[in-house]
Amino acid sequence: MSQAKSTTTVQPSRARFSRIARGRGTRSGPWAVVVLCILIAIFSLLPLGYVAVMTADAGWDTIVKLVFRPRVGELLFNTLALVVITVPICVVLGIAGAWLVERTRLRGHKVWAVLLAAPLAIPAFVNSYAWVSAIPSLGGVFGGVLISVLSYFPLVYIPVAAVLSRMDPALEQSGSSLGLGPWRVFFRVVLPQLRLAAAGGALLVSLHLLAEYGAFAMIQFDTFTTAIYDQFRSTFNGAAANMLASVLVLLCLLLLLGESKTRGSARYARVGAGAQSNPTRLALGGFQAPAQLGLAALTVLALGVPLFHVGRWLVAGGAEVWTRDALISSLLQTLGYGLAGALVTTILAFPLAYLVIRHPGPVGKILEGANYISSSMPGIVVALALVTITIHYVPGVYQTAVVLVAAYALLFMPRALVNLRAGLAQAPKELDDAAQALGKPPLVAFLKVTLRLTAPAAAGGAALVFLGIVNELTATLLLAPNGTQTLATEFWALSSEIDYTGAAPYALLMILLSAPMTYLLFAQSKKVAGQ
Amino acid sequence: MTTSPTAGQSSAPKPAFTHDAGHATEHLQVAGVRKSFGGTQVLKGVDLTVAQGRTTAIVGASGSGKTTLLRVIAGFEAPDSGSVSLGGVDVAGPKTWVPAHKRSVGYVAQDGALFPHLSVGANIEFGLRERGRAAASRVGELLEMVSMDPSYAKRRPSQLSGGQQQRVALARALARQPELMLLDEPFSALDAGLRVATRRAVAKTLSEAGVTTILVTHDQAEALSFADQVAVMRDGALAQIGSPFVVYTRPADRATAEFLGDAVILEAWMEGSLALCSLGGIPVRRPPAQGRVHLMLRPEQIRISEGGNIRGRVVDTDYFGPETTVRIALAPIAVDPSKPVDPHQPVGGEVISIRHWNAMLARPGTDLSLKVVGEGVVFPWEG
Repeated sequence: MSQAKSTTTVQPSRARFSRIARGRGTRSGPWAVVVLCILIAIFSLLPLGYVAVMTADAGWDTIVKLVFRPRVGELLFNTLALVVITVPICVVLGIAGAWLVERTRLRGHKVWAVLLAAPLAIPAFVNSYAWVSAIPSLGGVFGGVLISVLSYFPLVYIPVAAVLSRMDPALEQSGSSLGLGPWRVFFRVVLPQLRLAAAGGALLVSLHLLAEYGAFAMIQFDTFTTAIYDQFRSTFNGAAANMLASVLVLLCLLLLLGESKTRGSARYARVGAGAQSNPTRLALGGFQAPAQLGLAALTVLALGVPLFHVGRWLVAGGAEVWTRDALISSLLQTLGYGLAGALVTTILAFPLAYLVIRHPGPVGKILEGANYISSSMPGIVVALALVTITIHYVPGVYQTAVVLVAAYALLFMPRALVNLRAGLAQAPKELDDAAQALGKPPLVAFLKVTLRLTAPAAAGGAALVFLGIVNELTATLLLAPNGTQTLATEFWALSSEIDYTGAAPYALLMILLSAPMTYLLFAQSKKVAGQ
Repeated sequence: MTTSPTAGQSSAPKPAFTHDAGHATEHLQVAGVRKSFGGTQVLKGVDLTVAQGRTTAIVGASGSGKTTLLRVIAGFEAPDSGSVSLGGVDVAGPKTWVPAHKRSVGYVAQDGALFPHLSVGANIEFGLRERGRAAASRVGELLEMVSMDPSYAKRRPSQLSGGQQQRVALARALARQPELMLLDEPFSALDAGLRVATRRAVAKTLSEAGVTTILVTHDQAEALSFADQVAVMRDGALAQIGSPFVVYTRPADRATAEFLGDAVILEAWMEGSLALCSLGGIPVRRPPAQGRVHLMLRPEQIRISEGGNIRGRVVDTDYFGPETTVRIALAPIAVDPSKPVDPHQPVGGEVISIRHWNAMLARPGTDLSLKVVGEGVVFPWEG
């Protein structure tokens, strides 16, 4: 500490003090954020609001006429059968796989851990394309279930494996010491701990099933989403499509309600995050070989078949399919939309994450809930809503990139939000305070500390949004400006024309773009589990 | 309070820091500060004055508002009413508001709040205006000031122990040569041994730098040993301000007495400057009330003594190693038949706790003689 303390420093500071800052930062901050968040929440509620208004406008007679008819019954049966059969299979496969990988002496468990998550890198409609190439007659509920299970079981596997890897082995040891055998420990101690992760995964699978268009259209299996799309294509903006959308939205809301019931009071039960001993791995003994065989079979079906058939078509197409102009342009457009969408979505999610973490309270909770519900809407509903709203109110932006990016933001905001929340939690307010006490103005403190510390999480969230956009088909088909081709839409156009060789490079590019993001998702899940 | 190292420090400032004799010694002045959060009044009119170069501890239970007061002084929160002035300049008031970054105030948070993305050196440099080599040498100086090797500058905060993190946080706060240093329970996250050592090191550094310091803590021993001035905070207001010795031995009210340490509280009758109780007549300086009162003594004022004229029997003991807490039932006082019956005469029989070093001396059932050393403090009777 040098001299020049008391008297000398007080004089200059008097001059500093006279420049009184306008507004009392500590109080005005949250209000600006709250207003911003409310605007974002209103924006994110557009699709749901659209469906509600359309349904109310249609009137009871129209609703009865359009909803209570055999066609809707058929769609309802298909959709419900798909969900009811697929979800339990995904849950069983996901939990069994996660348990084998994380809790047993499975040989090569590190490799299996990645292989079981890898199918997520293959978009469902690419999977469908591969299976149709293998079995051209594939279709019906069986076909839908097969494609869905192989595409979506990692959505259960990843969160369950994450929780299992973080679960305190002391729990299992206590179970054993209380006289339970390995099976009873699994069912009475381990399984209850997995309830939240498995229910969350099951919800995700269900929402994907309701929203998926390409995979089911490819095998001509009709669900609400495919029917709405066909209806839209034939009558553009008819009441029939809107009514089907209402039923679909109702199904989504029921799913959300069901999932929140499953969570119940267990929502706050957390898995210990402190230092814990390494998990004890159970010897598989005679079950080693069947376990290896089962996992190998699953991997062959979920990864081997699609990769083999994409490879087969690539070989058949030779060099010619790589030289088409559309390939490069659609790759660039996909990257462009992916980056723009990821950026916009992350920026929109930031105020909400900030409010929830820094100023926890009912407002943040309600806004976050609104966003959660609205982001569960299928792409087809979001697209329908944006088509109608833009045509009616802002025709200038109809079929422009702005609307498409807005749709991406609506669909993928939770991915950014979850990551930003975790990131902001790593940047406590005390650090911001410390920076201000060290003489940095609030904005500089925010940039140098909070934003800097949140950056990795924001990048992770943005990458996942990017992954979603690369593989997005439905909303892109409906909303993209004329002449826009993304990898997904171009792949779709070619495979619809049965140009399977021409479609193969697009499939490969989508898989290659998705693979690193999938790995990121997998790696990240291990970190955030238990939070 | 054993010895008083802090008293020596302020009366004999180091040459690096020289008091300007003509300068006002009131460095920080907090007047009538109120602050509410959503309908809950956290600060209910706080007045506090801190002299230049002195150390003040604000001590209070959790929820008493002490951290909020510190945050108001730092400039992280604006008071609803009242004012704060630093070195004679208003920084918060009805029409004034100087944000945290424009106040010359250092702040060390409970867990140090080191920036996890920066090295130790970069953390310390954060608030410096110098860059490059000048900054690096300053970082070395500051690390030495908090008794750490300059080689630590390259480490990450996560590679430091809790005590080291706190010292780096202090070095970082000192880097800007603040006029006032605010410490928000900086030792409470440390384990017992480290806490004392870190507290000593921090007190030494700050006194050498001659920085006016405010420490917020819920630990009364820490407050008494660290500061020249202790301010006891309760329910959003300061219940008492004074030197550690005064607030401990002459607490303003019963709650303060009990918060600052163990207290023996007895019913007594105050007449003039003598309080009559089961321990006999205890002298009291400037009693606030006469007649029926509560008398407060510190346990260490009650000694086991051969020649003592107070009788008691050991009820039970708690052995702590170096000393033993002994619970003693005072003997009923025999009524002198020659005197008229006095309704205010103590009757004895209370159970009190004292401390003694000799565990063998105090077996349950043993009869003991006691004497009282020093003066008592009385509080007006509360039904």
